[in-house]
Amino acid sequence: MTREIMYRDALREAIDEEMAANPLVFIIGEGIAERGGSYKVTEGLLTKYGAKRVRDTPIAEAGMIGVGVGAAIAGARPIVEILYVDFAMLGMDMLVNQAAKFRLMTGGNGRVPFIMRTQGGTGGGVAAQHSQSLEALFYHIPGLKVVMPSQPADAKGLLKFALRQEDPVIFLEHKHLYMTKGPVPEGEYVIEFGKADIKRPGKDVTLIAWSNMVPRALEAAAKLAEEGIEVEVIDPRTLVPLDKEAILASVAKTNRVVIVQEAVRRGGVASDIASIIQEEAFYSLDAPIEIVAGLNIPIPFNLELEKASVPQVPDIMSAVRRTLHLQPRAIAAQ
Amino acid sequence: MARPILMPQVGQDLTEGKLVTLKVKVGDKVKKGDIVAEVESEKATFDVESFETGTILEIRHKEGDTATVLQPLMLVGDEGEKLVLPATETVAAATPASASMNVSVAGSSGVSLPAAPGAGRSSPLARRLASEAGLDIRQIPGTGPGGAVVMKDVESYRHTAPGEARVLNFPSATSSAAGGAQGIKSLQPGEGDPVLFIHGFGADLSSWRPFVLLMNVKNPLLALDLPGHGISQAATASSFDGIVSHVRSQLEAAGLTRLHLIGHSLGAAVATELAGGGTLDVRSLTLMSPAGLGPKVNGDFVEGFLSARTEAPLRAWLDVLVHDAAKLPGALLRATLAGRDGTSLAAQQARIAGAVFAGSTQLFSIRHALQRYEGPVRMIVGMNDHIIPPDNTVALPAHVAVHRLPQVGHLPQLEAAPLVARLASENVRSAG
Repeated sequence: MTREIMYRDALREAIDEEMAANPLVFIIGEGIAERGGSYKVTEGLLTKYGAKRVRDTPIAEAGMIGVGVGAAIAGARPIVEILYVDFAMLGMDMLVNQAAKFRLMTGGNGRVPFIMRTQGGTGGGVAAQHSQSLEALFYHIPGLKVVMPSQPADAKGLLKFALRQEDPVIFLEHKHLYMTKGPVPEGEYVIEFGKADIKRPGKDVTLIAWSNMVPRALEAAAKLAEEGIEVEVIDPRTLVPLDKEAILASVAKTNRVVIVQEAVRRGGVASDIASIIQEEAFYSLDAPIEIVAGLNIPIPFNLELEKASVPQVPDIMSAVRRTLHLQPRAIAAQ
Repeated sequence: MARPILMPQVGQDLTEGKLVTLKVKVGDKVKKGDIVAEVESEKATFDVESFETGTILEIRHKEGDTATVLQPLMLVGDEGEKLVLPATETVAAATPASASMNVSVAGSSGVSLPAAPGAGRSSPLARRLASEAGLDIRQIPGTGPGGAVVMKDVESYRHTAPGEARVLNFPSATSSAAGGAQGIKSLQPGEGDPVLFIHGFGADLSSWRPFVLLMNVKNPLLALDLPGHGISQAATASSFDGIVSHVRSQLEAAGLTRLHLIGHSLGAAVATELAGGGTLDVRSLTLMSPAGLGPKVNGDFVEGFLSARTEAPLRAWLDVLVHDAAKLPGALLRATLAGRDGTSLAAQQARIAGAVFAGSTQLFSIRHALQRYEGPVRMIVGMNDHIIPPDNTVALPAHVAVHRLPQVGHLPQLEAAPLVARLASENVRSAG
């Protein structure tokens, strides 16, 4: 049985269920206790689990992340909620130099089951310091796992799995997705890391997207279906570990790839996935791999410019058509 | 100059077969008629003969490989001869073993290897598919960005459907046992009015495959199977007119109204009847050893050919088809037997034979149709035809050009292939 619930409710269910099951799980963040969190993910948890396990913090991200990493090393299972991924930059030393390295440097004796939940992406004109998609920074660091759910069911299953494994997890939500609804199974389930999900099967082009680009990819796929183009939409769900096999299997079938990321193009995860595909599936490719990504700019405040700075549905559709050689790569000047 | 030994056509319209045994290695000397390899189809094993004398310069496949029919298995040339490799390597850089795949070979014509022109653009997948199929990527017309060769170009070059779909719209779903477009295949994509090949009694459309490689026209090349033959073997007809109307409905189902026709023997008769029948816009008509011009046909051949169930008698009758028995490909024998094995093919063909021949008499005439046809028409007959006597071709309408080939039997398209292809191509081109 499934029911339709919101992404934020699915996240809350995951935290609630795991807090109930494991007394070592606790959560800290700005305004998450009495206020229930800016996106209402933690609403009601304070009453249920008390102020020791659901705790408000000052606006001090470096401190919060440091507390979380330390608590994890000491054996607890902390969730640190950072209001915007942009502010996680204040805690980068704890993430990159401490959390990511501890397991290796202790010969595997020390583990850091730390979860940083935060959100990124554009939406609503919150400008350059509140709109970034920074997954590539964490993707780049060996030792961190990077999770980017696009749908409520994935969000719940992946967060529950995160709370049961032993390594630091960067759990990246999207501000646009909290209010989106989707079917979520009743009862207990987890979704393992490293398992991509085919959000829509197709045979003509493989479209890889994550987080808020998944709904856009699905919309593009639905429109392209009207043109007779069958797009396969693959959501890796976790960027680290990445389900390479699922991607390569799809490419072997379609011979064409479009990768969509909201993050800026330069140094992005899409480029890395493209490099894996060209290396391992070169002789399956019938067209250049297309990347549809954000422009290499800080996100503008103006809503129209914000929209223009990240991939939209028509951009994705054009890229798909290009891989099918149905549309020229560039439009010549009149 | 090096010449290829081709993977034979191992069965009814099969596109590939397995290389079972190699009997030679690079550097071996072979002479014409030597058996150089053994290949198998789903049903039978075939010897591959060398049609050249010389030294094996290169072998393209190893034992156990699957090879595409009518593509080179190996190259024969003069001892010490250097194979010309293209200046720009594409796929080959990563896999030196496949470098030789880029050697340009011009089909089965025995044409020598040309120096490589500059390689055009192509997708990695297209290069891999072409390489696996033993095709030279540079021979394949590209439709991708900037003329790049992409997957569908290789496929339409190799097979049929995608290429012909560009030229012709085949409503295949609507075709049925009553006719339909089922029996029509594209042998080579192209531009302009399609050229349709119609085979003779007992053959099938795949018999044209070696010949079409020699054609020098830009048009798409199609072929069909007559009722009781090839993929139309389940269909039947009770008279010559029945065969013609079956073909007519196949053409209608395929939306083919304007085309060139090239036929052999019974197929030439069908082509003539279609051309003179007025409903189709037939641009040109090329007839090889046509039936229907006189009463006589070699009834013993028809009966013997149909009743042969083993190699020796079939070989004896097939030898009658040609002037020089050495020119009959060994594969034809095994392919014919393999095609009959476990099928009702021979019985179906006996039924067709009964509809058009009575013993040694042809029950139909195409002379009226030939008279009515106003387009360019060329007839090519072998002076040593023992199936349909060449003296049937006297007293033809004055607009019919006749080429009488000495020392050629009933299969001029096999025995004098380059000349016949030249004449046929000229006739097609003459119609614009």
